Amino acid sequence: MSGVRPGEEGAGETGDILELPAAPSAADIALDELELVYAFIYARVGNRADAEDLTQQVALKAIPRLRQGATASSIRGYLFATARSVLGGFWSTRLGLSEAELRDDLALVTPPRADPDRGVASVQRVLAELSDNYRRVLELRFLHGYSLKEVAAEMHSTVGAVKVMQLRALRAAARVVLE
Amino acid sequence: MNKSENRIDKIVSDLLRGRRLKLRGGDAEEKAAITAAARLAAARQGPVRMSPAFRKRLARLLQDAPSDGWITRRAALVAGLGLAAGAATGSLVARALEPAHVAAASGGPINPISGRWIDVAALSDLVEGQGKRVTAGSVGAFLFRRGDHVTAVSSICSHLPCELWWNGGTAHLDCPCHPASFTPDGRSTDPQYPLPSLNTVYVRVTSAGRVEVLGTA
Repeated sequence: MSGVRPGEEGAGETGDILELPAAPSAADIALDELELVYAFIYARVGNRADAEDLTQQVALKAIPRLRQGATASSIRGYLFATARSVLGGFWSTRLGLSEAELRDDLALVTPPRADPDRGVASVQRVLAELSDNYRRVLELRFLHGYSLKEVAAEMHSTVGAVKVMQLRALRAAARVVLE
Repeated sequence: MNKSENRIDKIVSDLLRGRRLKLRGGDAEEKAAITAAARLAAARQGPVRMSPAFRKRLARLLQDAPSDGWITRRAALVAGLGLAAGAATGSLVARALEPAHVAAASGGPINPISGRWIDVAALSDLVEGQGKRVTAGSVGAFLFRRGDHVTAVSSICSHLPCELWWNGGTAHLDCPCHPASFTPDGRSTDPQYPLPSLNTVYVRVTSAGRVEVLGTA
């Protein structure tokens, strides 16, 4: 993001009086904040296409509320409030549930700080809480990208048994997330 | 074999291939497992940033908003700029509804060749969370209010050409001709067989607090 607006490129040349960079516009701030919103949404839907659609929805909903002079913190607050609402709508539509039926972990999630590694760390924490078999099946499947057959071979089991274990492991992981 | 593990494995496989979440109503029973799978799939990628193309698209979306559009109508009224705010609100809503700025599946706006702004209601007549059916000449629309902003979608179903009705119980627009319904922003509510979105309708709020729809004489 540049703090220099069009027409101000000459400022700073020899003989000119140096000026403080122009304050970033609300649009510039919003774009940077939307980068965090995107990461926040992506971490919950797990794919780019849905994350892009939802982030764009957040941007569209937020435009009328942004204004010049708004601070980064107020813009962030509004964008994340909107993101929570959009995510809630997403899950309720996809799962055929009313938003009232959704648990807090789906809709009313806490906005992240500007630390992109936080999501990865929290997943490592979740996996560490699981039993050895559950952790192994999720690590092989999600982190190493193994197919069910490969997981079954690695764990000396059958594809059917691995499928069941995968479901149970995901349920267990969800319970850890909620704690 | 239990159906749940097969459905969940299909969802996991799609996520690992980077595909969208395709869910069914029956998947709600496994919502916890599905959201856990989505989070793990995201973690597999590590920290992600927007693609340059998507960031550019968002930047254009934000930059295209007219500079006066960054002023809220309320702030403008306080500053004695009521007239400008009315125009700003109208142009902003209209701009936000342009097809270039909404999802690809969205219905385009209705833009009559000899369009005229038709007064259809007072802003105070609109209740938040409730759809209001209005006509502007030959254009039928449902209006939805959020604060001082109003959006509008066509009152005609995007599939069968029947007049929708507002179902206050579900907060959806229902089609009387077949089992289809739409959200107030015009999207189909059926995730499995989504219909095209409803056409959007240009709407603006004047400084006098009147709601006008771009319709026909």
